[in-house]
Amino acid sequence: MKRNSRLKINYFILEVIAIIAAAIFIYPVFLMFINSFKTFREVIIDVIALPQQLNIDNYFYVIDKMNYPRLFVNNILITAVGITGIVAFSSLAAYIIDRSRSRFTSLAFLFIITPMLIPFQTFMITLLKVMNIINLSGSRVGLGIQYWGFGIPMATFIYFNFMKTVPKEIDESAFIDGATTFQTFIYVIFPILKPVTATVIVLDVMWIWNDFLLPLLMVNDSQKTKTLVLAAYNFVGQYNTQWHYAMTAMVLAIVPSLIFFVLLQKYIVKGVVAGSLKG
Amino acid sequence: MIFENKKEKYLFTLPAIFMVSITIYLPFLISSYYSLTEWNGIDREAKFIGLENFKTIFFENNQFFDVLIFTGNYTALFMLFSNLFALIIALVLVQKLKTAKLLRGIFFVPYIMSMIIVGFIWKFIFSQGFARLYEITELGLLNLSWLGNSELAFYSVVLVGVWQQLGFYIVLYIAGLQAIPGDLLEAATVDGANIFQKFFKITLPLLGPSITVCMFMSLTRGLKVFDIILALTQGGPGGSTYSATLDIYREAFQYNNYGLGSAKAIIFFIIVLILTQIVLKISRRNEVEL
Repeated sequence: MKRNSRLKINYFILEVIAIIAAAIFIYPVFLMFINSFKTFREVIIDVIALPQQLNIDNYFYVIDKMNYPRLFVNNILITAVGITGIVAFSSLAAYIIDRSRSRFTSLAFLFIITPMLIPFQTFMITLLKVMNIINLSGSRVGLGIQYWGFGIPMATFIYFNFMKTVPKEIDESAFIDGATTFQTFIYVIFPILKPVTATVIVLDVMWIWNDFLLPLLMVNDSQKTKTLVLAAYNFVGQYNTQWHYAMTAMVLAIVPSLIFFVLLQKYIVKGVVAGSLKG
Repeated sequence: MIFENKKEKYLFTLPAIFMVSITIYLPFLISSYYSLTEWNGIDREAKFIGLENFKTIFFENNQFFDVLIFTGNYTALFMLFSNLFALIIALVLVQKLKTAKLLRGIFFVPYIMSMIIVGFIWKFIFSQGFARLYEITELGLLNLSWLGNSELAFYSVVLVGVWQQLGFYIVLYIAGLQAIPGDLLEAATVDGANIFQKFFKITLPLLGPSITVCMFMSLTRGLKVFDIILALTQGGPGGSTYSATLDIYREAFQYNNYGLGSAKAIIFFIIVLILTQIVLKISRRNEVEL
């Protein structure tokens, strides 16, 4: 009995410490939120105090100045195009690489996954040139397509590791029923791959949505193709003394990811773990 | 097998092969060639100059050398702190706490935010937030010039880098800790092992795979640090926080030295390749199978 109650107190102390640590940890994010509701004067006088009233004028101003709806559509489009290609081409490649073990497929596998070891920054200089030539720079769809190449290596690797565990009898019975290889893939295999597809989507949405360097290289200053994060970067650079607007722009840039996270926390954490332990 | 000698194995791998070829291999090969040239990005033809760029980098000044030292120091501290704090917090959060789930979520929040935004938030904290907190608390630590002093700026960048990524490593360590069989720890308790013996003799060795993954990830991410520095210090003060990737970026896109930039990129690539192989070897060797 005594031992139990001491253990309880220990847990209680541990819990209090953990809560305080987490509160300090997240305080910068909290500060950003409260300052986005303040007027310029309020920010200058006291950055820590809570706003006197919930003033959303900053939001109207920044949404209009940044052309937020347009950026939002851009981000959705680029991310959707990127994800679709990565999922389709990686799963297809992983499927045939696992099922048809030959010299060609093992070489193809090596060729596809090796770029995981090549840092983006080592070839970004000439990437821009190549993309200019084949007309993939400077458009939203083009940017989305570029992500195919950067996302396929890891996605193929993750799909392949899962494919190994899918019994071959499943496709054999589909063949006996007269399905072609492609039909087997679409109707039989791809549905089985669903958990891996979820992992790949979670990892790649977080990556593409927040990516900064590739849009910075490709988009320049064209309003039409700018992404959310890139626009926030330019906006904060321009308004670097008007912190109330800067904070609002930053909140607007992260709110979609935050909502995405709160709604899908379980899948996101699972996806991140699965993706890293296998990738 | 059914698939032998079928055209599908070419057809189905073709899109993936094609995409990685044009977005990764082709630019990489062209970069390797440009590293042997002098080119400002505008002229039609790059001038072939052999190994001149590498000579410039290695012998004529040690600017890139300083950049590599910063990147190395940053990566070392980043790896140390991310893994140490993540492991400690993970150990706490796997205990039976009522708020454990919520706290895990909170620590993960910075990881889902764009690194550029994270850099800006902290720029605000360091410049405005600390000043105000100092007025209230009079803690001398808050009155220092965290972004203006070259030595402190280094630690500021490390702090922000760790802050952004910590949640990711916490999640991986929690997964690792949960995979350790409870009866193993119970048996040790019965045998009279104390909490530290249990941690160092059982938990830590069995965490091997998680540690390998976390070490590898923190190494490659540390070496590639870019966004946070661009938002926080832009390489300053006095070039003291210039990372390798920022230097490559500036050399090419701001100073228009595409040849020299490509040469730096190739050197960076080789260094990353060697370091990742070493770290993988070391941590794999220390793993323990159950």
